[in-house]
Order: sequence, then C-alpha cells, then structure tokens
Amino acid sequence: MKDKPVKIMTNKNNVNVEAVDEKLYEEQSDKSLVNEMDNGRRSLSVGAKPALLKKKSNNRFRKLFWPSLFTFVAGAAIYESYLFIQDLFAFNGLLGGIATAVAGLALVSGAVGLFKGWVGRRKLRQRKDKQQVFKQLIDENSYGESQSVIDDVNTEISQHLDISGPMSVYSSQKQQVHNDRELIQIYSQTVLEGLDEMALQAISKHATESAVMVALSPLAAADMALVAWRSSKMLQEVSRIYGCPQTTFGRIGLTKQVMTNMMLAGASDMLADAGAELLGKSLTATVSTKVAQGIGVGLLIARMGIQTMKLCRPVEFTDDNKPKLSYIRKSLYSKITTILKKSEPSKAAIKSKGEQHDRD
Amino acid sequence: MSTKSSVKRLLGKAEQLVERGVDKRVRIAVTGLSKAGKTAFITSFMNQLLHVTDNDQLPFFRPVKEGRILATKVSSYDEMHIPEFKYKQSIGYLLQDQPEWPLSTTSISQAQLDVRYQIKNEWIRKIQKQSHLTIDIIDYPGEWLLDLPLLRLSYKEWSSQCLELIQQNKCGTTTDWQEQSAQLIYQQHLSDEEITEVSNGYKTFIKNSFSKQCTYNLLQPGRFVLPGELEGAPVLDFFPVTDTDILLSDWDSLAQDSLIRTLEKRYDYYKKQIVQPFFKEYFEKVDRQILLVDCLEVLNGGYQNYRNMQFTLNELLKSFHYGQSNWLKRMFNPTIDKLLIAATKADHVPPEQHRPLEAFLQAMLQEARNDIRYEGIDLETMAISSIKVTEAVMAEHQGQRLMCVKGIELDSGEEVISYPGKLGEQLLTRDDWQAHQYDFINFSVPRNLTNSILPHIRMDKVLQFLIGDKFR
Repeated sequence: MKDKPVKIMTNKNNVNVEAVDEKLYEEQSDKSLVNEMDNGRRSLSVGAKPALLKKKSNNRFRKLFWPSLFTFVAGAAIYESYLFIQDLFAFNGLLGGIATAVAGLALVSGAVGLFKGWVGRRKLRQRKDKQQVFKQLIDENSYGESQSVIDDVNTEISQHLDISGPMSVYSSQKQQVHNDRELIQIYSQTVLEGLDEMALQAISKHATESAVMVALSPLAAADMALVAWRSSKMLQEVSRIYGCPQTTFGRIGLTKQVMTNMMLAGASDMLADAGAELLGKSLTATVSTKVAQGIGVGLLIARMGIQTMKLCRPVEFTDDNKPKLSYIRKSLYSKITTILKKSEPSKAAIKSKGEQHDRD
Repeated sequence: MSTKSSVKRLLGKAEQLVERGVDKRVRIAVTGLSKAGKTAFITSFMNQLLHVTDNDQLPFFRPVKEGRILATKVSSYDEMHIPEFKYKQSIGYLLQDQPEWPLSTTSISQAQLDVRYQIKNEWIRKIQKQSHLTIDIIDYPGEWLLDLPLLRLSYKEWSSQCLELIQQNKCGTTTDWQEQSAQLIYQQHLSDEEITEVSNGYKTFIKNSFSKQCTYNLLQPGRFVLPGELEGAPVLDFFPVTDTDILLSDWDSLAQDSLIRTLEKRYDYYKKQIVQPFFKEYFEKVDRQILLVDCLEVLNGGYQNYRNMQFTLNELLKSFHYGQSNWLKRMFNPTIDKLLIAATKADHVPPEQHRPLEAFLQAMLQEARNDIRYEGIDLETMAISSIKVTEAVMAEHQGQRLMCVKGIELDSGEEVISYPGKLGEQLLTRDDWQAHQYDFINFSVPRNLTNSILPHIRMDKVLQFLIGDKFR
C-alpha cells in the first residue's frame, strides 16, 4: 500500500518550463470533465486538423428578411383574425364565442406542438453532443468516464423501448477492467446493435410500403405526397427507436438535416451503391417503368432512413456495423416481386398504365 | 435421376476446392522471455476456446458473438516427435485446493485445437455450411529464444556484444569467470577439460545474472541456462572472448587448434546444428505471433533492466520473418502477417493504468515496431492478463482515494491491497527512473477459481486479433 506520487522534481529556476507545465496540467485537469458535453474541446492527441472559420455575414439585412417577413405575416393574420372574430361577435354572440374557442384551441395546440417540437429538436442536438462525447472517449481511451454517459443514454432509450434484455447482457459482459473504449464498444454491440436491427426493419417496412404505393398510384402528384407522408412517418419511428422522438414540427429540422447529410456525406455512399443499384434496375426495368419508379422511391426513403439512424444513434457507426443499403434493397426487391407475382393479371394493367403515364 | 447424382458429384468436388482455397490452419508462435507468462497464456487461450460455447466473457471475439463457433476440441497433430502441451496438468494446478501457477516450461511442447464453425461468406455457405480451423500453438522455454539473434552474429561479433554488455552493466562485480578468462592465452591450444572448466564458470556467471535480476538478457546462449537434452554435451562448452586486443586482431593467421579457433568452431556448430534447426522447425511456418512482455518486472527493476530488456526484445523482433502473406505466398513461404505485443499480468495493475502500461510498452519497443510496421504488418499492443487473479478496488490512503488491486500475495500468501505507483503518460527519462519507485507485487492464484472458465483481461481481444479473421 505504498503511494508514490508522480511529482517530478524539476529545477524550478527555469520559468519557461514551469509555464508550459502548468498549462499542460490545466488542460489535463480540464480533460477529466468530459461529462460537460463541451464538444468544442479537443484532446491533445486528436483533432489537430485545421478548421474553417465561420464566415461572418456582413449583410445583416439579409438575415433579417425571413424573421421580419414572418412577423409581418403573422401579425397581419392575427389582426385579421381579431377583426374577423369581432365581426362575428357583432353579428352573433354565440358564433363569436365558438370562433374564439376554436381560435384559442388552435393557438394552444399549436403552442404545445411547437414546444414539443422544440424539445425534440433539443434532444436531437443533445444526441449530437453525446456522439461527440462518445467519440472523444473512444479516441482518448480513458478509464471510468463512459459509464455515466451510457447510463444517460439508457434512461433516454428506455422511456420508449424495453431494453432490459440487452442491458442484462451488457452488464454481464462488462468487466471492471474495461476502459472507456471497450465499454462503449460492448454497449454498442449488445444494446445499440439490437436497436439498429429494429430501425432497419422499420425502414425496410416503410420503404417497401411506399415502393408498392408509388408503383400502384396513377398520379404523379400523389406520388410526391406519398413520399412526403411515408418518409416523415418513418423518420418519426426511427428517431423514436433511438430514444429521441421527433414530432411534426421537429421533424422538419430533422428532415432538413437528413437531406443536407444525404447531399454532402451521402455522395460517397451513392457511388458505392450505384453499381449494385444499376444491376438491380436492369431487373426492374424489364418489369415496368412504374415499378422501377416505385423501387427508386423506396431506395430514396431507405437512404433517408439510414441517414436518420446516423443522426440519432448515440454512438457513431464504425465500418463494422454501419447499416447497408443492400440489406433493405434485398427485402425491397423480394417483397415487390412477390406482390407482382401474386397479382399476375394486374401486372399487364400496371404496365399499360405506366406507359400511358409516360406518354403523358 | 442421373442428373441428380452428377450434380451431387459436382457439388462434392466444389466442396473440396473450397476447402483447399479457404485456409484452415493457423500457427501461432507464443514468444516471450522466461517468466513472461507463456504457459499461463497458452493455458488460458486453450481454456477460452474449449469453453467457447458457454463462455459469455468474450464480447470482443466476433465469431463467438455471432454465434458461429460450434465446438472446439484438442486434437492430435502430425509432428509426433514433439511432446504434447500439458493442458490438463496446467489447468489442474490452477483449480486444485491449493492453487499454484502452472510450472514453467523446461522443454518444447505443442498443442493443437480444432474449431468447428459456421461459414460467414454467403457464397461459400451455399456450397458448404460448416468448416473447421486448426490452431497450432507451441510452447518452449523462453531462454531458448535468446539464441535467435545469434543467427545473425559471427563469433567475433557476438563476443564484442557480450563485452559491451558486461562493461555497461554496473551492478555486477568481477566474477570468477572473468578472472579465469583474463588469464587465458587465446592463440595457444587449450585442452578440452580446461575449456569445459572455463565454460562452466561462464554458465554459472549467466545463471547468477539471471537470478540476481541484473538480467544480462543478451548473455547468450540460452541453452547454457536451460540445456534441455543437451546437458553435458561438448557443443555447450564455449564462451565469449572478452579481451579487447584479441577482438581487434585478425584471426585468419591463427592455427586451427588454437583456443580461439576451437571456440569459434563450437560456436558455429552450436549455431548451425542447434539453434538453426530449432527455429526452422518451429518458427518458420508461423503466420501469427504474440510477444508477451512482463513490463512489471522491468518497472520494478529500474533503468538498467529496462535498457537490457529493450535491447533484447528489439533484437529478438528483428529475427523473425515479417511480410504480408497472400494465399499464394502462404502455400510456399509463410510469413508472419500479424503481430501482437502484449504486456502481461495487467491484472496486477489498477485498470485506470492499463493505458499508460500500453504506452510504456509501445515506447519501449518503438524501434522494432517501426521496422515491423514498415513491412506492412498488422501490429497491435495491448495490456492483457491471461488469468485474472486480482480485483480492482478503491482504497483510502492518507486522505487520497486510490485505485488499487486486491489479491493474494505470492510470497506471503496473505491478502494485500496494492497501489504499485503511478505510471506516467509520458516517456520516462533516466531521472524519472530514479525518482519513481514501483512496487509491483506478484500475486498468487486465488482459491475461488472453481469455475472451469478462467477469468481473464482482454483475452477475447487477443483471440479476435490473432485468429478472428480466419473464421470467414
């Protein structure tokens, strides 16, 4: 039981050396407070890359455009509604009362929705911070700091899912000696991979559904609405699986992020998938153009789903466990082809309909 | 029906082809100096694999996690002249009423495991559902490994190296052997009896160095310390020249029966007939290697010990064949394509210090690691414990909360809580070595190892790194 401190007896005459040392120790003592989720903080060993500074917009008026327009329109609408209700009161007291009640209801429910959306978006932001924290813990390979973060994530997920089974596996596999990187990996393997599977199933279900719907729908305009509806439903479900559910308003933010990610980061994925998809398309092209469109839409939705998974998963995917489009594509093809086989007589009809649509 | 049978025949042929194409054999060289924990490692390695189906302590061994390993058994091997590794005996020592560490190795032995597993690749799976992997592991005394660098050295070079090491070392006093050898006249003939006498003096000198912890690690040959079946053979009667004048002179003009020529002849014979065949047989066919290093002894021992160990290990690593092996090369000329350098006895260190321990090991072997990486080898460093015999605990000491390890001390047989000292993140300088005093205690095996699966630290990662990719 001997305690031998690390104190190194250096020559204290040298002021310069001392200053550097002090700074080092300060940074190291800072480092131990990982739980503060300060994603701007970088460790000494990683993150020595240059970063672009945020460009300061010198045109303040451009920034003010949307808020001011929104305030103006909203103000006008409220004023108009006020006038409208006033008119109604003048016409009939009862009618005015009903209109007031309806307006109030709309206001309250809207406010609640906005609030919930805001909460959801905040959760999503926190999730991003968590990802950063986990990434940092993995990079630094420290000891004893990850358990509290994992517990945090667990409570969030267990509000929406029953994960007691995987959690018992996790606690039986983790050992006292595991460092942060290992603990996070075990957590990811035991608990999160189960969630990944669920999310993939949900994505696959929605993608197939919308593929079939688009294949059968006669109108191009209906297709667009279908895609919007199904994809938003899917985003909601996937985000709920990972314990940061997004509501109607919050979803807009999520959708925006998903789309941005797909455009920016998805380019490489697309290249990798392109070959396989082309191969698949030659198969679908022989069936019908409309079905091919359906499958295309299904794949788009699947890709959106995978991006959502990437955004919502507390621990970032690694090369080993990252979800692959091929998994969904397979089930998509098999389901669509079985549907087509079942409805053999209607296949001709679909085909002619599709061709007709193309001629239009 | 004839088509059906012909299809069957074709499938059978395809299966054979697949068997040949997929590599089914992996040979692991467990290397490490004596007392690094080779026997314990092999025992634990076999134990984990033999209990693989009911072992939930292997989260990082992916084939197990995927549930693809069906069963493992110890099988008999083709090299019948090598004794079998005494797995039952070793595990018996650990699990008996008064548990002990397995006996250290005194001669070579081999173990072979057959693992049956489900194939992962979906295309191969269409032809064949299951396959098996043969794992060869070899155990041998760590002292013999010290001979490996000899293969690259002539007698003259070896002698100068020895001289250098003796001069560097400050903890030893002049020994009988040094006095004896100072009086020799190397240019003249010396009778065999006298040579034997001097060489015996040299042998005691090395053995003493080993036991005194001044570890003259490079004072070869290893068989002098542990002769095995060569006890008393004349091939072991030689010693290095430590006379500077002789070393600098030209030996060509000397008579064939002069002492120096005799010694050189014996050295060359030893090298050619003893060392070379040994390594050719056991290490040339190797494709995975693990190097076990007991860092704790080094840290306990101090700076000189550290330098010795560093030099020895770096020399050792230079002697193996490294290179990327593709399937074509593997059939004709296998080389090591993965090397794991492991700091053993990690359970003797509080878990929060495992990373500094790894860093220490990395820094110690920096030179060799760089060379090996250059060859394109998959190289990893880890702090592991083959058999975990301690518990990590938090203890209060003089107002400080310290993470310690609790276990039974080997010497006293009593339970102790040990805080061995703090390993720094940075490289230790010579001054640090003097300021830091580490006290790593040797722990004995606790009596609660009743479960037949041995507790471990990171053996699953070791398994994954060494053989995980073979279960395709």
